[in-house]
Amino acid sequence: MLERQHVTSTSFLVKQLPTPTLFIDKEYRIVYASDTLVSIFSKENTNIKGVSLFGVFPKLDQTWKSVLEDCLLGKSNPMGTQTHADENNFERCYEWRNAVWYDTNENIIGAIIEIHDVTAAVHSEISLEKSNILLRQQSEISKIGIWEYNVESNTVTWCAMTKTIHEVPLNYTPDIDTAICFYKEGYSRNAISMAVFEAMDKGKPWNIKLQIITDLGDEKWVLTAGKPVYEKGKLARIIGTFQDINDQVVSEMKAKEDAKFLKTLIDNLPLNVFIKDRDCKKILANKSECDFLGVSDPSALLGKTDFDLYPVETAKIATEQDLRVMETLVPILGEETVNIKKDGTETIFLSSKIPLLDGNGDATGLVGISLDITNLKQKEQELRNLIQVTSLQNKKLINFAHIVSHNLRSHSANFSMLLDFLVHEKNEQEKDKIVTMLTQASNNLLETLENLNEVVTLSTNTQAEKERQNLNEKITNIQQNLSGLIHNDKLQIINNVSKDINIRIVPAYLDSILMNFITNGVKYKHPEREPILKFSTEKKENYTVLNIEDNGLGIDLEKYGSKLFGMYKTFHTHRDSRGIGLYITKNQVEAMHGKIEVESKVGTGTKFKVFFK
Amino acid sequence: MRKINFISIVDDDPITVFGIKKMLCSTVECKTVESHQNGKLALESIKKNLVTKEPLPEIIFLDINMPIMDGWQFLEEFIVLPIAKKVKINIVTSSIDPFDLQQWEFFKNKTHHVITFNNKPIKKDKIAEITKVT
Repeated sequence: MLERQHVTSTSFLVKQLPTPTLFIDKEYRIVYASDTLVSIFSKENTNIKGVSLFGVFPKLDQTWKSVLEDCLLGKSNPMGTQTHADENNFERCYEWRNAVWYDTNENIIGAIIEIHDVTAAVHSEISLEKSNILLRQQSEISKIGIWEYNVESNTVTWCAMTKTIHEVPLNYTPDIDTAICFYKEGYSRNAISMAVFEAMDKGKPWNIKLQIITDLGDEKWVLTAGKPVYEKGKLARIIGTFQDINDQVVSEMKAKEDAKFLKTLIDNLPLNVFIKDRDCKKILANKSECDFLGVSDPSALLGKTDFDLYPVETAKIATEQDLRVMETLVPILGEETVNIKKDGTETIFLSSKIPLLDGNGDATGLVGISLDITNLKQKEQELRNLIQVTSLQNKKLINFAHIVSHNLRSHSANFSMLLDFLVHEKNEQEKDKIVTMLTQASNNLLETLENLNEVVTLSTNTQAEKERQNLNEKITNIQQNLSGLIHNDKLQIINNVSKDINIRIVPAYLDSILMNFITNGVKYKHPEREPILKFSTEKKENYTVLNIEDNGLGIDLEKYGSKLFGMYKTFHTHRDSRGIGLYITKNQVEAMHGKIEVESKVGTGTKFKVFFK
Repeated sequence: MRKINFISIVDDDPITVFGIKKMLCSTVECKTVESHQNGKLALESIKKNLVTKEPLPEIIFLDINMPIMDGWQFLEEFIVLPIAKKVKINIVTSSIDPFDLQQWEFFKNKTHHVITFNNKPIKKDKIAEITKVT
């Protein structure tokens, strides 16, 4: 009875155990079972007492029988895990443990089996394994290794990747000194030593780009990072990562080098180079372009449009060009363009604009290349002017040659004719007449030669010295020299030239010019009125203009304009007309780099304008 | 000796005028030989004769380089005058300028008058030839 009482109380006790527990006898029959176990494994609350263990758990591994056999012999061993679907059909994992069941007399009467739900543990184990695999893969792909320095044991551990990066065998064991010695001597080694020191001393983490020399002697760029870990306020470890960034750094350096090379190249080109984006904003400008726009650094130009940099007119033309190039994708090559800056300076460029295309063939901007050809253009213009001067001079020379030839020929013709007459003439009186004419012809020839000589002197002596002289004074002087002539013909000279006007001239030329105009004023005076000659000046462009106005006969410029300044051209019958005065005047004015213009009305008068530089 | 009614000399050089006149005297019999110092004076005289229906020159000796109105300017106005009769115009010049030869070609093809081009000095036989053809 007591026994039974005991059994009953034991059964009640087991029933209430919080851990799923089974008691089996030596024949594997279930003696007791906790309610927790029954609720897990039994669908209905069936009585499992006395039923064989393997009957209740048909899925149990048969190998466990031997484990239980050992147990019943007094040797308990772990049995392993067993899965079981719960009421939600969720697969759960249970670990089975056993212990020997003794009676009060230490006799083995069976086995106690405890079952633990280890589902969560198993799952986290799987995910840990997964994480490890992922980490390893990540580490392989990104070439990031990890390492740890245990301060207390003064040991260093490297992961496989860290070792691979160092190119050491996988069984290599580093220590703190050898680890530091892998860094390249100089900056890298100093920097890492300092970083480790500061981490240990001040708890400062590091993350720096340095170079190592691997075990195989290769130079490599690495990104090393370290972080001190404290335990109970004391530095315990330094953990960190170690990444092979050689490829990145090398290609970065190469890119930098390429960029530098390109920049050096475009900065040193004697061309203005710029790049504009789709909105015509500058995104690159080389040194020449900066110099041209008077800024020391490209940053002063970046993001700006032509409207920010040039006057509206220039900007408008340039921007229209830009848009056309980006729209049509047809580049502008070597087009001559005139650029006017805000300060008014004009530059002539030979400019090209080439569209920049993206992957789809659309323009994302354009490259502009401009060559300053202002000097070239200037030279070209100078050359053209020179050619013009030369051809003009050539024309003059031919004209002169014809004049010489014509004049000398006409005199020689007269001589030969008169001599022929003289030879055949019998009449003495007639002979005398012919001799008189010969003398006249000879005088004419002499005069012609004098005139020609005058012209030749003028034409050959183009380098005559210029002097600064007062124009008003000059006119007064000539007036005095010619006072006889002026007095005889009652010429009235009005000198309105301001007394402060000085001009750079060849004095002899100015004398000759003024004298010629005064004598012309007398020679070609109107028969019905007393001659008046008016001198005045004005400023025109770079010239001082001397106006000489008379009230004489005037000349029909439509008829004679082209010949007025020609040699041996006379337009009025006057005994002193030589047809050389204005020809020489014009040559003298031109020799001083001036020019001469004329206005005239027949019967009213003539106005000459002499331009002095 | 051939008889010619009216010869005109247009030249500003008195020696040439004298020479032509002298040569004419010995080669041809001419009632009137007049001379003008430039084209303008000659033209005015001809125009006046046209109006008054007086005789016009049959032969003209014409210089080119003259003041006021040169030989070419004279010709330009002369060839448009209503003169039905062929006038023999003889250019007498010392010019060798190709421009003058071009001008001669130009006027020759533009008029029914006969125009010849002669270089100075003009010789007696040339004068004879000119006056014979008329």
